[in-house]
Amino acid sequence: MKAFSNVNPKDLKGAASVLRQKGQSATIVGGGSDLLGMIKERLVTPDVLVSLKSIRGLDKVTERGGETVIGGLITLDALSHDPLIRKNYAVLAEAAGQVGTPQIRNAGTLAGNVCQRPWCWYYRNGFPCYKNGGKTCFSITGENEFHAIFGGGPSFIVHPSDTAPALVALDAKFRIINASGGPSGERTVAAADFFKLPSDNPARENVLANDEVLAEIRLPAAKSGTRGTYHKVLDREAWTHAVVSVAAVMEMDGQVCKTARVVLGGVAPIPWRVPKVEAMLAGQRITPELAAQAGAAAVEGARPLAKNQYKIPLTQAVVKQTLVALGA
Amino acid sequence: MTPLKTVGHATHRIDALQRVTGKAKYTGDIHLPGMLYARVLRSPHPHARIRKIDVSKALALPGVKAILTNENCDVIWGSGDQINQRRLFNNPVRFAGDPVAAVAAANRHIAEDALHLIDVEYEVLPFLMDLEEALKPGAIEIHPGGNLSPNNQRQRQPQIYRRGNVAEGLKAADRVFEDNYATVHHNNAQLELRVAVAEWSGDKLTVHASTQGIANCRTDLARDLKIPAENVRVICEYMGGGFGNKNQNQDFDLMAAVLSKQAGAPVKLEFTRKEDFVAVHGRWSSRQSYKVGVKNDGTLTAIQLTALTGAGAYRKSSCDLAGTEIYQVPNLETSVSPVYTNTAVAANYRAPAYPQGVFGIESLMDDVAYALKMDPVEFRLKNMTRKFRDQTPYTSCGLEDCIRKGAEAFGWKQRWNPNPGSAPGPVKRGVGMAMGMFGSGLGRSSAVVRLDGQGQYHLHVGVTDVGTAAKTTMGLIAAEELGVPLEKVNVVWGDTDTCPYSVGESGSRTTVQTGMAVIEAVRDLKKQIAEKGAPKGNEVLTAMATTNPAQLQGQSRNSFAAHFAEVEVNVETGHVIVTRFVSAHDSGRVVNPLTAQSQVQGGSIQGIGMALHEELRYDKRSGLPLNAGYYGARIMTHLDAPPVQVVWVETDEPYGPFGAKTLGEPTIIPTVAAVANAIHNAIGRRVKSLPITRDKILEALA
Repeated sequence: MKAFSNVNPKDLKGAASVLRQKGQSATIVGGGSDLLGMIKERLVTPDVLVSLKSIRGLDKVTERGGETVIGGLITLDALSHDPLIRKNYAVLAEAAGQVGTPQIRNAGTLAGNVCQRPWCWYYRNGFPCYKNGGKTCFSITGENEFHAIFGGGPSFIVHPSDTAPALVALDAKFRIINASGGPSGERTVAAADFFKLPSDNPARENVLANDEVLAEIRLPAAKSGTRGTYHKVLDREAWTHAVVSVAAVMEMDGQVCKTARVVLGGVAPIPWRVPKVEAMLAGQRITPELAAQAGAAAVEGARPLAKNQYKIPLTQAVVKQTLVALGA
Repeated sequence: MTPLKTVGHATHRIDALQRVTGKAKYTGDIHLPGMLYARVLRSPHPHARIRKIDVSKALALPGVKAILTNENCDVIWGSGDQINQRRLFNNPVRFAGDPVAAVAAANRHIAEDALHLIDVEYEVLPFLMDLEEALKPGAIEIHPGGNLSPNNQRQRQPQIYRRGNVAEGLKAADRVFEDNYATVHHNNAQLELRVAVAEWSGDKLTVHASTQGIANCRTDLARDLKIPAENVRVICEYMGGGFGNKNQNQDFDLMAAVLSKQAGAPVKLEFTRKEDFVAVHGRWSSRQSYKVGVKNDGTLTAIQLTALTGAGAYRKSSCDLAGTEIYQVPNLETSVSPVYTNTAVAANYRAPAYPQGVFGIESLMDDVAYALKMDPVEFRLKNMTRKFRDQTPYTSCGLEDCIRKGAEAFGWKQRWNPNPGSAPGPVKRGVGMAMGMFGSGLGRSSAVVRLDGQGQYHLHVGVTDVGTAAKTTMGLIAAEELGVPLEKVNVVWGDTDTCPYSVGESGSRTTVQTGMAVIEAVRDLKKQIAEKGAPKGNEVLTAMATTNPAQLQGQSRNSFAAHFAEVEVNVETGHVIVTRFVSAHDSGRVVNPLTAQSQVQGGSIQGIGMALHEELRYDKRSGLPLNAGYYGARIMTHLDAPPVQVVWVETDEPYGPFGAKTLGEPTIIPTVAAVANAIHNAIGRRVKSLPITRDKILEALA
């Protein structure tokens, strides 16, 4: 581990201004459950860690103006057990509850999970790939069974977050703070626009600039009859990232699905929304037949690499199973 | 068997309280005044010649006290290679992770920073990852003489075993079955990292090791450092696991000792988890091709095995393949060729040659049984071994009872589906079984027992307890022979200064070898007491025994096992869950049912991980490892582990201590095959390569 210093700003503006001052040499740390491991591996070598842990009130769930506002620093464990989230946003509670292990969920934060760097084994082993500042993606002709079948190129990572697909499915808004004062000091971005494909910038996964902090996540008021769930396929029963996951939210009118949002994890460099599936479900009763058709539609246009072909039938099956479970 | 007073009763470990309260000092907890910390620089290339190493910048870093490289350290690590002279730091380097330099510094951060200041100029060489490629004519030679590593006779030939005539046996068969199986390199993944603390006092060396055998570690260190064994003291009071990769002395023990000598201060060297996975060793991979001849009534006529095994970059162990010995067959030929590649070194991991070989033969025999429309259990009862290599009688054999009683406890008859894959799904249930055996070693070991004037017995045994509860086992055996409660026996362990030679805790030999020495020493003590009377005041009576039974009067001593697995496979997602597991074992009399049960459960769970998850993966173009560590290896978690029901088949072994045989390693031998056979029974397709991952299952079903 390279030596670094730690700064404890007292508010988000303070955090952002340290980031602006220090530039690339500073990194934000929340729970640190992933970042500290990366520092130990020298995958990242910051001089300064800007700890958000000292900022008060950033770990709460509150209702404000019809919205539910979640502080970015809430732990995944607290989020998964929050009564309001469990009642109105089950998809998010379930997703948070399936991250890593209890130890990781006790330390890891929602904002940290949303902004987590990829777990591609080339990136994590320090190969000089796009994510490590290089000009290639080793997975394309390498060991790629865990890589993207949608949205890949030039990098084929998959987004590692469990909460991100849930937040896109919930149509969440992300409040982002920077160091400037006044109205230019913050912006709000829809979850679906927060995540960026590698074709935009293969080194990054989202819109955050170096001096920006993801402060809060706002969820629209839950409509009555809305239900949601998160299904995650793991290669063992705990402590792996999703091979494939499905976040689904449906607004139901009795037995009929009024609207649906279906977002896939583990298959693309960003949470992968499947609008065709959503359109198929709108106004329909969710029968096993419809769920199976939706599963097939979900994988239309998939472009597998040499070793991740299996993700196509897998995704198809998990979409079907998720919709059957949710529509029942 | 007649019940005994102490042996055979469930007993907590005598050091349990120390372990669970954190009072136990493991090697990583040792802190000596003025101690330095070491870190190792490793090759970033799978094969390269070092043209130049410049350590001047690293040496100039304040706090750096010593640096070893190939240029100033020519120590040969004798246990690191059975064939080639393997130095602590080699040139050329032969795998990504081969040590290039070691630094001792005031703290580990400085040591690590210093690694980044060492300039190494490499000439990158072509490298080999694949066993077949490595044997092709014209392939680069990883060691002089070629990539086929020598056999037991030191010839560049496969290791061959023959009995009968396989060609004739196959001719005599009604049907001949052929198939190929592949298994992979995976890591022992023990919890405790590799760590050593070395300290010199004049020409006397003390090493706090994390070792499976203090006595072997001591003699190996003395051999490699060219000093008398009496000048070396090895201490390991609490040990955090090894599963075979901390036998003998390891390179970290030696590096710590040499760094300490050079720096003139105690040195602690602890590997990182990643180093643990790539830099020492794991289980060897294999490619197995079988031909099996069988009569229509299910009688075997011939088995032929031709195999390659992956030694990795150095030849650290036998790289053999076992498994065919569990069948009675008149004609048998096995040919095993260990092959060098530029990958992590392979050597001992719990029953080193067994679970991967049993996976191959038991997968094929399962297919044979189904093809002949026989119940796999009946097929095995018909063909299981009756004599060792069909010649030598067993001292005791409970294999048949393991199969019968295991099947009964499992509910085989009710659960077995004779038509694999025929369940409706999408979640299909299936069951499978497999059998295994393991030699119960013979050889030298010693024990000392003393009785003091206060009536307390002291048992000195050179065990460290690698997780098997060996300290407790030795205490129980002594207490039984003495006819006193366990509390009257103070067990002294883990220090070559206070303990006599004990065989290393490898090969599952401690109970059968050191246990016999304990009994002999106690008998001697009892004789002395009878002759001289009990000691009084400061008097002490001491007895020592060294036992070395060379022969079992033309018999063979083995432990036996049969494992039964039930799985649920979702044929849409390829997801496998092991839902039920029964492990039936004949290890003779069970000395301590509590810790023996833990052994079986641990071995079975480890085997399920081997069947379903674990593989050290490489990027084939760069030769660099991709998934070193617990996360990448997908080691089983508590949520993955099914309840494992243990069935004891206690044979009365005439040559073991109170009838005991070997246990630790047999516990993983049939597991992998049982799981593979259960998956086949569930889905009606056979996956022939390990690990049996989701992508292979979905591909098999496509």
